[in-house]
Amino acid sequence: MVHLSPQLLRRYHGGYVVIRMALAGHKQANRPFFRIVAALNKRARDGKYIEQLGTYDPLPNTHNEKLVSFNLDRIKYWIGCGAHPTKPVAKLLGLAGFFPLHPMTVTEAERRRAQAAQTEGEAEKIQKAEM
Amino acid sequence: MFRGVRIARLLAPGRAVLVEAQRGRKSRTDPVAKSKMGRIKVPPPVDPVEMVVLRERYADYKLIIRALRLEFKEEVLRRKYEEEAGSMAEERMRQEVEEHRNLMEFNRQENLRLLQLRLVRMQKETEEAQRTKLEEALQREQQQQEFVRQKEEEIAQLQEDAKNFITLDNLDQRIEEVLDNPKNYNFAVDKEGRVVKQTMLQ
Repeated sequence: MVHLSPQLLRRYHGGYVVIRMALAGHKQANRPFFRIVAALNKRARDGKYIEQLGTYDPLPNTHNEKLVSFNLDRIKYWIGCGAHPTKPVAKLLGLAGFFPLHPMTVTEAERRRAQAAQTEGEAEKIQKAEM
Repeated sequence: MFRGVRIARLLAPGRAVLVEAQRGRKSRTDPVAKSKMGRIKVPPPVDPVEMVVLRERYADYKLIIRALRLEFKEEVLRRKYEEEAGSMAEERMRQEVEEHRNLMEFNRQENLRLLQLRLVRMQKETEEAQRTKLEEALQREQQQQEFVRQKEEEIAQLQEDAKNFITLDNLDQRIEEVLDNPKNYNFAVDKEGRVVKQTMLQ
């Protein structure tokens, strides 16, 4: 039986590094907090990671801001070593200005704008009909 | 015909449309709910204009991302190279070696100093030990002599006492003496402590 070290096993199974969001285990209901983390692909979402690269707080604070932090130096290193960021991380990085804006961000914004314009138009029509 | 195929490919979304059923709350063995008996899940409809625009945007985005990734790779490699064989690396190595040498020298000096101190201390300790040993020997000698002297005193005392012993020869003489001199051991004591040895003789 061939016994391989954990690193060799990982190479054999073909795992790769991802930059993704993991829930920080604060154990409070209805209060999430994410860590932006470089971990291996097959690991559990909240399991052992290689390095923490930032944070993301999804709930807005008293000044109506959602706080995000990035360790750009290390993110550069990991992407240079061949890590793949997930969609939400890519979107956040796009909004931060480090990456180009993600296409879905733009598309979602356009869709929302179209929706808002439509509802406004309908409201106006209803008002005119009433008058 | 070809234009139609190309447009169809342009309009079609990138990945597969049919998504397999995901496992939500229910496991494999749970039956389908009554309200969802004949349901066929259909993904949201695709707007062709938006799809074209999105494809272009995605192409641009992927291009930029790929360029960034290659840049970062190059930067990582360059940093590694500089770390190992850059301009500062030799100087750092030299400084490290020098520092190491200095520290070893310092260590050697410290060891010498401590050695000297240790030698002096050990000498003192040996002298102290010798002195204490001599003193103890003297003490023991003195004690022995004391002991011998005491024993000799006791022997002398005994010898003196032996002169007053009653032997078979003196027996008759001593009896005669005792019978001739009756000793009176009676006495009286007052409350104030006055002792009176003279009592009524028989």
